[in-house]
Amino acid sequence: MVPVSAELAHRSRPVPRLVLGQARYQLLLLTRSPLGFLLTLVLPLLLLVSLNVITPGGASTAPAGLPYAQFLTPAVSAFCLLNAAYVTTITSVVHAREEGVLKRLRGTPLPAWTYLAGRFTAALVTSAISIAIIVGVAVVFFKVHLVWHAFGYFVLAGLLGIVSFFLVAAAVSVLVSKTETALPVAFGTMLPLAFISDVFFSSRKGPHWLHDLASVFPVAPVARAMEAAFNPATTAWPMPVTGLISVLCWTAAGAAVIVLAFRWDPGPFRFRPRHHPH
Amino acid sequence: MEGMAVGRPPAIEVDGLCMDYGPFRAVDGVSFQVAAGEIYGLLGPNGAGKTTTVEILEGHRRRTAGRVRVLGFDPCHGGRRFRERVGIVLQSGGNDAELSVREMVSLYASFYANPLSVTDVITQVGLAGKQRARTRTLSGGQLRRLDLALALVGKPDLIFLDEPTTGFDPNARRDAWQMISELRRSGTTILLTSHYLDEVQQLADRVGVMSHGHLVEESTPAALGGRDLAGTVITFDLPPSFTAGDLPAGPWDQAMPGGQVSMHTDEPTEVLLALTQWAAGHELELPGLTVVRPTLEEVYLRIIGRETVGGARVG
Ligand SMILES: Nc1ncnc2c1ncn2[C@@H]1O[C@H](COP(=O)(O)OP(=O)(O)OP(=O)(O)O)[C@@H](O)[C@H]1O
Ligand SMILES: [Mg+2]
Repeated sequence: MVPVSAELAHRSRPVPRLVLGQARYQLLLLTRSPLGFLLTLVLPLLLLVSLNVITPGGASTAPAGLPYAQFLTPAVSAFCLLNAAYVTTITSVVHAREEGVLKRLRGTPLPAWTYLAGRFTAALVTSAISIAIIVGVAVVFFKVHLVWHAFGYFVLAGLLGIVSFFLVAAAVSVLVSKTETALPVAFGTMLPLAFISDVFFSSRKGPHWLHDLASVFPVAPVARAMEAAFNPATTAWPMPVTGLISVLCWTAAGAAVIVLAFRWDPGPFRFRPRHHPH
Repeated sequence: MEGMAVGRPPAIEVDGLCMDYGPFRAVDGVSFQVAAGEIYGLLGPNGAGKTTTVEILEGHRRRTAGRVRVLGFDPCHGGRRFRERVGIVLQSGGNDAELSVREMVSLYASFYANPLSVTDVITQVGLAGKQRARTRTLSGGQLRRLDLALALVGKPDLIFLDEPTTGFDPNARRDAWQMISELRRSGTTILLTSHYLDEVQQLADRVGVMSHGHLVEESTPAALGGRDLAGTVITFDLPPSFTAGDLPAGPWDQAMPGGQVSMHTDEPTEVLLALTQWAAGHELELPGLTVVRPTLEEVYLRIIGRETVGGARVG
């Protein structure tokens, strides 16, 4: 037990392995949590089926004479992203922090960002699987057809969305103090936005100001781009520049909050206490 | 320990450590050193500042003032290299309720390049029969064993144990002591906090007693409070219709009116003579009369009592 040999014995683990390990850990947690499963797969699927069945004349709300299901499938996929990347992230990060799980992790050599990277990867995997199932069900049962020439836009818009929703959620989790308030905060911010952002209905017939208001937030540009990618008339990148800028701004703001204020210790949010030695 | 300390830098150096929570000073000018390979016990009543001190050394909290070196690092900025070499048992640690014991230990093992075998660690802390149990089903003592397993699995050079055996049954506590003693034999440095004097007496090479944010006493468990010189305690039940003021050779301490009285003295023979003569003069029997050397517990209570009474501090 000479310090030199101790130094040699403690060689670090490679970071990619740590990230993969974290992703596996988060996926394992998700498979054990009925809420995560419910939010990312069951709820969107239920929505797809029930809205399709309840609204047979729904064609009128879909844009440009598209069949309703052709609009609803990518819309529900966006909803699935919101649940996987936004709602689940807020609830599980707040829960892990308040339970003291994050504090314990912080005392290990696991680099801080690999925890978030693991969570992100888990959100990516679960939403990819869920969306594959949703689109599969839509194709088989609701005669939805894939628009292959625009499918890349669907994937790209979805990726942009998941990164943005995830980072904003991790930032929001900093502000939430208690486990019990995490779910209300998550749904209370996500659902109203989803309603005005064409995730359930097309807002084309709604008031202009509402449409414009929605465009300020990251949900609408992502959802609308994903929906456009299921429209055969779409031939170019369907997200307007203003929408892209809004998504990127929210993403950057989320990242900034995480870097400046992400918390590992349980307890209410405070501005960093500044201590002045007497 | 002195022999070991030569040539090896101390594992922990704390000098003038202060910590404020807002206007409240929780740790006030604490200084101590822990030699490599030593077991150092921090004792003190609730709220003394033990956890605050330990968590500063772990890198969990940012100190207000003072100099701190742990394994040569400033724990605030030690980063991965530092954390690879310390194991931490927090006063209250969090677990993922839905993971099993084995999954938790494997997860933590995966953070280190050269961890102990997961099975060995689980067996070592006595959870072999609970490997597949979800952590939410574990009892308080079993959870504490898991805490210990998670701190040990990375083969740390230095372990922080914040009340490691709180909630253990006597048997489990013996097991934990055994484990900690084995760690010492392997050269691991240990900083532990405890409310149990027997624990510190069993395990620690040196003890620091904290009270109100100060380190009020530091010595070996055997010499704590100058126990060897601390004389004798005489105790008996005060007979009815007398007060402590009526007794000879006072002053006598009385915790409760009408209850036991006691005295701490370096001249027991003289006091006893006066006392028994007084009792004989009143034709009294002194029920419950005992004459003992103070236990570690009594010494400890006196140390922190002294600090509380005379503890008017200048902020
Ligand atoms: N995060 C905090 N914010 C404000 N005050 C705190 C905080 N943590 C601890 N304190 C205060 O600092 C003092 C020391 O607390 P600490 O937890 O260090 O004591 P301790 O010696 O570990 O006690 P115990 O034996 O009960 O664990 C207490 O008065 C406590 O109320
Ligand atoms: Mg404590």
